[in-house]
Amino acid sequence: MDANLLDITSLHVSVGDKEIIKGIDLTIKKGEVHVLFGPNGSGKSTLLGAIMQLPGYTITQGSIQIHGNDTQELSTDAVANLGVGLSFQHPPKIKGVTLSRFLKSINRCDDLDHAITALNMEPFLERELNVGFSGGELKRAEILKLYAQNPDLLLIDEPESGVDIENITIISNTINAMLQKESPMKTRSHSALIITHTGHILNTIHADVGHVFMDGKIICSGNPMDILDDIRKDGFSGCIRCIQREKDKK
Amino acid sequence: MRPYDNTMINALRNVAYDFEQEKSASFLVSDLEVLDAHSASDAIEILPISIALEKYEWLSKLSYTLVPKDKDEYVKQVADNENKLGYFIRVKAGEKVLLPLYTCYMIDTNSFTQCTHNIIIAEEGAEFHLISGCTSSAHALSGRHIGVTEYFIKENAVVTSTMIHSWGKEIEVYPRSAAHVGKNGKFVSSYIALSSVKKIQMDPLALIEEGGLGEFYSVIYAHEGSSFDVGSTVLLNGKGASSQIISRVVSNGGDVITRGKIIAHAPGGQGTMACNGLLLNKKGMIHAIPELIGNDPETELSHEASVGMISKEELSYLMASGIEEEQARSLIIEGFLDLHIPSLPEYLQRQINDIVKKTKASDTL
Repeated sequence: MDANLLDITSLHVSVGDKEIIKGIDLTIKKGEVHVLFGPNGSGKSTLLGAIMQLPGYTITQGSIQIHGNDTQELSTDAVANLGVGLSFQHPPKIKGVTLSRFLKSINRCDDLDHAITALNMEPFLERELNVGFSGGELKRAEILKLYAQNPDLLLIDEPESGVDIENITIISNTINAMLQKESPMKTRSHSALIITHTGHILNTIHADVGHVFMDGKIICSGNPMDILDDIRKDGFSGCIRCIQREKDKK
Repeated sequence: MRPYDNTMINALRNVAYDFEQEKSASFLVSDLEVLDAHSASDAIEILPISIALEKYEWLSKLSYTLVPKDKDEYVKQVADNENKLGYFIRVKAGEKVLLPLYTCYMIDTNSFTQCTHNIIIAEEGAEFHLISGCTSSAHALSGRHIGVTEYFIKENAVVTSTMIHSWGKEIEVYPRSAAHVGKNGKFVSSYIALSSVKKIQMDPLALIEEGGLGEFYSVIYAHEGSSFDVGSTVLLNGKGASSQIISRVVSNGGDVITRGKIIAHAPGGQGTMACNGLLLNKKGMIHAIPELIGNDPETELSHEASVGMISKEELSYLMASGIEEEQARSLIIEGFLDLHIPSLPEYLQRQINDIVKKTKASDTL
């Protein structure tokens, strides 16, 4: 039987001296799309950084496994080469490195030209990476990066943040293509963990599991649309009240 | 001297002098010997300076007017040298030459001191693109190159000058150059040095008249044991004159002083400067010295300067895409050194980028 694509067990992560992730368990199977809801500063981006083994995120307890491989001792590029790709919320500007040069360095797909056209990125190929890009252009460039990288697990940090409706549709179409949403669930090989602050992305991307992430913990998991409806109705404070009620019942 | 052997051909290629490349004119010197001086265009006159001085009486009066003989010991050494080595280039009024002119000085003998004096004249409305290479052969381990170059760029003329240095580890280089840019003239000067050298010291001067433009770009990769003291001084003499100085320096153990000075004397003078340095380790040093001097209230001068290491954020971003650390570093360094000069014609920009790539490939970058 195939190992899970991502297995997170009792994970605690600190940034500097401050503990941000305070013990979470999360499993993502092949073909599944999970979304993380949560207020600002709850630790959602820290979780993606820790999975990616970015510098500055220290795993103090627990483990992260990709395809059954513990990532504790791996470098960031080694994690990427296990099949993980991260779309950054705020990618850095890299002067002198053109988008085309960058894509050439990372490309693992056969039909990159198709994605370049779909994401309207032809005019940016000879531009310096992320330099002078608008919010929508940055997101499109990040999704194009993931397409080129062709990872098994896509980590996408707030794809709809600062992006207009037209760009959300363009971005979502390419994410859906990467996630093989046209194919039956059992034949899909790519999975995703998507952070969303507003939930708008769920209008265009179908997710299988939703999680509410608050104060460094996953406090609730379930049908993503149901969770989103509750958050829209009562806000994240409603989630806290709901959890308290559940505890009181017990 | 073994003209045109493979070692020499390769050394020349490192500084963009390729025998198979189509050229509007060319000039090639090895030690003291002029191997080639010819023009493929009626618009260009190119002569060894000794012959030009005999042909044109006025030339001796023009000589050393921009770079005075008493400027320093190096200019004096060139002026007093009995071998009048150098080139004279004149592009005729109104002529626009698209194909570049190529010149190259090579030191082929160990411990040789090469003294050169070049005079370049772009007559009114002329336009041309000069690519100058300076190099030494594999067996010339040490030596000295002292070069005086005077550019006379007349009204409405456009000159781009790209200089590529690729010297040996024990060679010292003292270029002394100055340019006078006439009314509405344009001078775009680029300097590329990516290989080891013992010492390069220069501070070219440009005087820009009304409506004229002077742009100075330099790209330097300083290996351990190399010492650079380079920069540009620009005098915005005329109303509405403008200038841009951009330097990108990488120290991989070498010492670099990168200077830039813009002096605005007249109303409407505009100048910008960016001196950026990347330190790859603790062995080297980068000292950025940007200076702005305004003598007229209607001037706009600004600068930015930075010296630091490779950004960890950029590095981890590239690594998160699956690029291993060393390759990510190379990508950032190569990008940092990539020259993008908006005022160069696109074909020339491409050609210069190719030169930089080849030079990088042949070195230890």
